[in-house]
Amino acid sequence: MSELTREALTEKEAADTKGAPKKQEPKAHAMDMSALGRQSRRLDLANEEVCLEAKNLDLYYGKSQALKSINMVIPKKRVTAFIGPSGCGKSTLLRCFNRMNDLVDICRVEGEVLLDNSNIYEKGVDVADLRRRVGMVFQKPNPFPKSIYENVAYGLRIQGISQKRVLDETVEWALRGAALWNEVKDRLQENALGLSGGQQQRLVIARTIAVEPEVLLLDEPASALDPISTLKIEELINELKSKFTIAIVTHNMQQAARVSDYTAFMYIGDLVEFGSTDTLFTNPKQKATEDYITGRYG
Amino acid sequence: MMEPPSAPGKVDFSDPKFAIRRRARRLTDHGARWAIGMGGVSVIIAIMLIFLYLLTEVMPLFSGASMHREAYYAVPAEDGDGATALLAMEEQAEVGLRVTEKGNAVFFNTRTGDIIKQESVRIPEGRTVTSFASGTPTSGLFAFGLSDGSVVVLRHDYKITYPDDKRLITPLLKYPFGEDPLLVSQTGKSLANLTIRDGDTSLMLAGSTADGKLEVMRFKKEENFITEEIMLKPEPVELPSVSGEITSILIDIRQEWMFVGSGKQQLNVYNLRDPGGGLHSQIDLTDGTSVSTIDYLLGGISLLVGEDNGQVSQWFLVRDEANQWQLQKIRSFEKTADQVIQIETEQRRKGFAVAGNDGAVSIYNATAQRTVLTQQVTDSKIKRVAMSPRANALLVLDDKQQLGFWRVENEHPEISWSVLWGKVWYESYEEPDYVWQSSASSNDFEPKLSLMPLTFGTLKAAFYAMLLAAPLAICGAIFTAYFMAPTMRRKVKPVVELMEALPTVILGFLAGLWLAPFVEHNLPGIFSLLVLTPVAIVLMSFVWVQLPARIRLAVPDGWEAALLIPVIIVTAWFCLGMSETIEAAFFNGDMRTWLNLEMGIDFDQRNALIVGLAMGFAVIPTIFSIAEDAIFSVPKHLSNGSLALGATPWQTLMRVVLLTASPGIFSAVMIGFGRAVGETMIVLMATGNTPIMDWNIFEGMRTLAANIATEMPESEVGSTHFRVLFLAAFVLFMFTFVVNTVAEIVRQRLRIRYGSL
Repeated sequence: MSELTREALTEKEAADTKGAPKKQEPKAHAMDMSALGRQSRRLDLANEEVCLEAKNLDLYYGKSQALKSINMVIPKKRVTAFIGPSGCGKSTLLRCFNRMNDLVDICRVEGEVLLDNSNIYEKGVDVADLRRRVGMVFQKPNPFPKSIYENVAYGLRIQGISQKRVLDETVEWALRGAALWNEVKDRLQENALGLSGGQQQRLVIARTIAVEPEVLLLDEPASALDPISTLKIEELINELKSKFTIAIVTHNMQQAARVSDYTAFMYIGDLVEFGSTDTLFTNPKQKATEDYITGRYG
Repeated sequence: MMEPPSAPGKVDFSDPKFAIRRRARRLTDHGARWAIGMGGVSVIIAIMLIFLYLLTEVMPLFSGASMHREAYYAVPAEDGDGATALLAMEEQAEVGLRVTEKGNAVFFNTRTGDIIKQESVRIPEGRTVTSFASGTPTSGLFAFGLSDGSVVVLRHDYKITYPDDKRLITPLLKYPFGEDPLLVSQTGKSLANLTIRDGDTSLMLAGSTADGKLEVMRFKKEENFITEEIMLKPEPVELPSVSGEITSILIDIRQEWMFVGSGKQQLNVYNLRDPGGGLHSQIDLTDGTSVSTIDYLLGGISLLVGEDNGQVSQWFLVRDEANQWQLQKIRSFEKTADQVIQIETEQRRKGFAVAGNDGAVSIYNATAQRTVLTQQVTDSKIKRVAMSPRANALLVLDDKQQLGFWRVENEHPEISWSVLWGKVWYESYEEPDYVWQSSASSNDFEPKLSLMPLTFGTLKAAFYAMLLAAPLAICGAIFTAYFMAPTMRRKVKPVVELMEALPTVILGFLAGLWLAPFVEHNLPGIFSLLVLTPVAIVLMSFVWVQLPARIRLAVPDGWEAALLIPVIIVTAWFCLGMSETIEAAFFNGDMRTWLNLEMGIDFDQRNALIVGLAMGFAVIPTIFSIAEDAIFSVPKHLSNGSLALGATPWQTLMRVVLLTASPGIFSAVMIGFGRAVGETMIVLMATGNTPIMDWNIFEGMRTLAANIATEMPESEVGSTHFRVLFLAAFVLFMFTFVVNTVAEIVRQRLRIRYGSL
């Protein structure tokens, strides 16, 4: 990190803290990881299989640059968390992984994103198929105004699968996978909009995993939910990482610490620090990271 | 720890001025709530009032008739003047006339029975009255047959003067064809069953002799140029005699047909225009009962046959498939008496009164096949009844030689459910049909008030308009909301919505005066345009996709639609340019004629195609605007969710966006339909207003709204026609009311099911 960024951080801090100054003393260690009920694991990026890799990724909204030369890997079957203050580009980066940014008119991407060693920004890439392989769950639960069953079966139906047996099995598998089966198995034909917010979000996750993607991108999946639903989602993430590679954007540092194996800290379009969660939270290399995770700003 | 920072001005909210302000605020809130509530309620009240007003104007159509007796007195007569042969009233129903079989005419005051004037018919010396005939009630003619086979024709007439500003009606007895009897029987024998039919060019008199021969004489009217006197030139008509005893003779209004009743139930039909003068046909009128009376309905076309068992039926001549005239039974009326004594026809409408043997009078309407009223008028037997010309009074002569004067309230007998919505067999029609024809030049016209052709026309116009508008508007809305670049959308949407501001009278005017003839002259061009435009658009899209990316990327995303504008212009130019060539090559130079001759399709210049184009144009903005809003307001997170699952934009559109927007799209279509149904000016100017029932796109129609607009100014306030127009308005109102209600219910249901989050 350059001095410039440090200065910027300090300025931002000053701006953010003007209203209600926080009087916390910075701790020596940023976060007591054991207090989160988390088993400390020795993880090393060098030993991981690579699932997604960003290479010199720049992203512009019109003339302003939102991502600045991002280089990182998303390890396979691990949970990678993205943290950082609002507007730092973590959601934007997440959307780069399944090209959801294409839907924004003024958005322009330079650089490469490799999925299984092939660039997803290559010409001729089937974006729809890419998105099947890299599924995404959004902040706000967005079930379709259809039945619970049809919501989960949607991904299969658009692939042209219509055999009832296949659909039935997949729906049950996906709902079980999303820990929702027991709650909805008796009312699969009811409208999905009748579910609670937490259930809706798990339904959306079920819908996403039903098409068996390789990667699950979770964009603040629990930020619109109550604490109990949040807990369920977090448990679910723990379950799912045995089958899927997961990338999660969160505002909640405790959540990042609880659920993730690796954490990336971003700040104004820069990837400031990326490493195993234990290391990042307990022994951040960058001052900016430490300031952020100790609540100096954000 | 810290005191909350005090505000700079140190506001004290317990200050009384704040209490006042709070109260004022609360009052404003209350006031606003009331005002807004009142606004809503008054809208509902206004609609209810319109509904009630329409209802009050329509209700009299369906309320029945009534009659009550105003006077009852002894028959004004002299001793021994004979039985009553004719009972009649003048226009105001103030003066009555009683003509006796002996040739005595007594004019009397209908309310009191006081004799106003008494006159004996001048009968030449040496002759006696042997028979009597009355002409149509409207003509006021009647005739006495004399013992030498001659006939005296008279007319009762009334002169109205206003001495001292009071109306005075002076009755007159006239001899329109001179006082000298007209000789009818060539053999000089006295005539029975005398009948008289007067026309513009000739007078016909007919009777039967005791030996069963028919004596018919046509008197041609010739006007003397100098004196302007009408001279009668007798022309005997020879007709073969009939078997059986002759009971009645009738001649139709055009003096073409003569009907002779013989025996119990037989009717012999003679064609008087047939040079051979032959018997045309013989028909049994009943199934065994005997005919008690036959008379003409107003207009002299329909025969009303009363039977001994009280049954009354209507008959007229119908041309069959072999182009032969056949007397057919059209309809039977409800039986209200055991025996028909007299049928008295109305003079302005196709109605009649039937006097039964049980002292009751029933009033019917023939077209509506409706028994309007049955009223007991005497406890003894009825001998004769007479209806006033305005059908608002009835004179009843009973067995006790007493006359009753009855006031009749019978405003709208012509209307019944079957007249409005069913097929009715109108006079001179070959079969029952739905017809709207509310007025004609003659007074004895049968109004044809079926709402079916109008309702059909309304639906047809709306259908063709929707056929064009709905797909165009919805597809346009989908493209604009879902695919179009925001900057282009910001220009396109207001422009389309601006179309709605075009006064429909201008659209109608253009459609009727410019588009209709243009389409007529370029028919092949218009059709190839309708077919080729979509083809050209698809072709262009295909070519566009095949172009190298370098060229494609030159056009910003979402602006591709603009490329279609030149394509459509070129297609239109090509099609219209080719029109004449196509017409010459395939349609013998004129597609209109070709359609008519080769395909048997009628072509009107102002037809459903024109209406579809013009009204479709008017409806497009409505549907487009609402549907576009509905599609555009589908939350982005839903379509993103679908795309993130690997759906293509098209799949997302079809399976998520349209589903979520379906309530809005549905209500857009229904509101568009409601507008097309209620639209007036365009259909008024571009449909030709012919009330026909045919789905043919090349024929016109008349809609309920256009019908009200055209006919309301010429209809007499309070008349049946006037009220039927209100009924049409009521139907239109109910139509839109039901459509909108159903649409709203369906929309609510859809919204619960598919409404967005």
